[in-house]
Amino acid sequence: MQEFGARREFPELKQLVAEASRALALLDTSRLEELALSCQALNQDLSTSGTEDLTRLAPQAREAAADMAAFARVLDVTRDNLHVMHRLRELRMGRLEYAERPASGWAPQKSGHGDN
Amino acid sequence: MGTINSAFSIISGALDADQAALSIVANNVANANTPGYAQETPNWQENQPVTIGGVQYGDGVSETGATSLRDRVLEQRLDQQQQLASSSGARLTALNSVQALFPPDSGTGTSAAGDIGSDITSFFSSFASLEADPTNNSLREEVLSSATTLAGDISNAAASLNQQSSALDQEATGVTAQVNSLTTSIAQLNHQIQTTSPDADAGTLEDQRQQDLSQLSQLIGINQITTENNGLSVTTTSGQTLVSEGTSFQMNSGMVNGVTHFFVGNNDITSQLAAGGGELGGYLTVRDQDIPSAMNALDQIAYNISTQVNTQNSAGTDLSGITGTATNPLNIFAQPATVAGSAVAMSVVMTDPNQIAAAAAGAGTGDNSNATIMANLANQTIVGGQTPTDFYSNFVSTLGATVSGVQNENTAQNASVTQLQTQNDALSSVNLNDEASAMSTLQSSYQAASQVFGLLNTIMESALNLGQETTVT
Repeated sequence: MQEFGARREFPELKQLVAEASRALALLDTSRLEELALSCQALNQDLSTSGTEDLTRLAPQAREAAADMAAFARVLDVTRDNLHVMHRLRELRMGRLEYAERPASGWAPQKSGHGDN
Repeated sequence: MGTINSAFSIISGALDADQAALSIVANNVANANTPGYAQETPNWQENQPVTIGGVQYGDGVSETGATSLRDRVLEQRLDQQQQLASSSGARLTALNSVQALFPPDSGTGTSAAGDIGSDITSFFSSFASLEADPTNNSLREEVLSSATTLAGDISNAAASLNQQSSALDQEATGVTAQVNSLTTSIAQLNHQIQTTSPDADAGTLEDQRQQDLSQLSQLIGINQITTENNGLSVTTTSGQTLVSEGTSFQMNSGMVNGVTHFFVGNNDITSQLAAGGGELGGYLTVRDQDIPSAMNALDQIAYNISTQVNTQNSAGTDLSGITGTATNPLNIFAQPATVAGSAVAMSVVMTDPNQIAAAAAGAGTGDNSNATIMANLANQTIVGGQTPTDFYSNFVSTLGATVSGVQNENTAQNASVTQLQTQNDALSSVNLNDEASAMSTLQSSYQAASQVFGLLNTIMESALNLGQETTVT
C-alpha cells in the first residue's frame, strides 16, 4: 500500500505497451481487459494529478513511443485477420445455407425411425 | 425373422461405423503433434432404409471415410503472413549486423574503434590544435594519426559491409536449393492427389502438401492457385510459375556483375524476389537495398572529406615551403577517382607530417591560416549538402529508423502468424460453434486491445504535452 505522502509511482509505460502487444498476439483477452482497467486507473490518476506527475512520465512516454508504434501495427494486423475470419465465416455459413444437399449422405430421408 | 435380422444388421453396422470413427479419432490423437497434420472427422452416411410391410425402417449408418478439417483460405492467409514475417525477420537480423558497424557519435571527441562520428570530429579538431602551434611536430603527427584512424574505420566499415553482402549472397543461394526441393515435392504430391483423390480431400497427402507450402512460404513469397481435380499451381508473388499441377520449374542462380541473380528459365526474377517476401526476400532486400544505401553514404563521406582536405592542403604551404600543384599535389588521403568505391579504398598516403600545409600559399611556414581553413571544413556543408558530422549523424539516424521500422513490422507479422495459427487450430477442432467461439476470442481481444491503445495514447499525449491540449505527431 502506498504510504501517505509518498511519491506516486507509475508503472513503466514501455513495459505496459509491450505487454499489451504480447497479449494481443496471443489473443489473451483476460490480460488485455486487465491492462485496460490498469490504463483506465492510470488515466484517472493523471487527470487529477498535477503537471509534476506528467513531467515525470514524459521521458517514459518518449521511451515507449517505438513500442507504441509496434502495438499499433499489431492492432492493424489483428483487424485485418478479424476481417479475414469474418469473411471466412460468412462464406462457410453461406455454403451451409445455400449448398445443395447431397443425394445420399447425412440428408434425412422419409423413414419410419420414429425419431422425427 | 426378417425384422430381427434387419435390427441386428443395423446394430452391427452402427458398431462397425463407431469402430471406424474411433480409428479416425485414434489417428487424430496419434498425430496431434505432427506438424501440418489436419484433424480428420469421420464421414457418416445413412444407409438405405428397408421396407417391411409398406413401412420404411432405417438401416443405420455407415462410416465412409474421413475428411480433413482444413480451410484453404485461412491456410493461404497464414502462409502469406508467414512470408512477410520471415522476410522481415531475415532483414532484421541482417540489418542489426549492419547497424552494429555504425555506433552513434559518442560525443566525447575521443575515437573508439569503428566510431566514425568521433573520428570525423577528432580529425578536424586536430587541425584546430595545429592552428595554435603550426610548426609543432607532435601536433602535425596527431593530424596524420587521426586521419589514419578515420580512414581505417571508414575502410573497415566498408569492407565489413562487403563481407556481409557476400554472406547474404551465399545464404540466398542456399535458399534456392531448398525452394527447388520443395517445389519438386509439391508437384509430385499434386500428381498423387489428382490421381487418387480428384474430388475429395486427400487427407495425409494434402497435409504434406500444405506442410511443403508453409515451408516454401518461409523461404520465398508465393501465390497459390487451386486448379481442377484438387490440383494446385504455385507462382512467385510476381507471377513466375514454380509449380503447375504435376510439373515443377526449377529456380537457378548465376552471377551478374559479381552478384548472384536468380532465374526461372531465362527470366531474371531477382528484384521481384526481393519484394516478394520470405527469407530470400529479406536477404535480397538487405543485400540490394540496405547495404548499397549504407555503402553509398560511406562513399560520399570518404570521397568528399578526402577530396576537400587534399585540395585545401595542396592549396597551402608545407613546413618545407612547398605548395602543391596539379601534378604534385600535397595529398593527405589517397585521392579517389569516383565516389563509388571511395570508402573501401580510403587510406592515408602522406607519411611526412611536415607536408601538412598549415600555412597559406606564399605565407611563411609559421603561418596558420590554411590550418584554420581546414579545421573549418568541419563546419562547411561539404558532404551531400551537410557538414560531415551532420551527414554521418543523419545516416546513422536513418539506419536506426529503418531498423526500428522493420522491428515493428516483424513484431506485428509474428503476432499475426500466432493469431492465425490459433484460429486455424480452432477451426480444425470440429464445428461451427467452436469456430464462432474462436472468432469471438479474436473479436474481444481486438476490442480490449483497441481500448488499451486508446487509453495509452491519451496518457502518452498528456505526458508529452504536459497536459496541454495539443496533438502529438
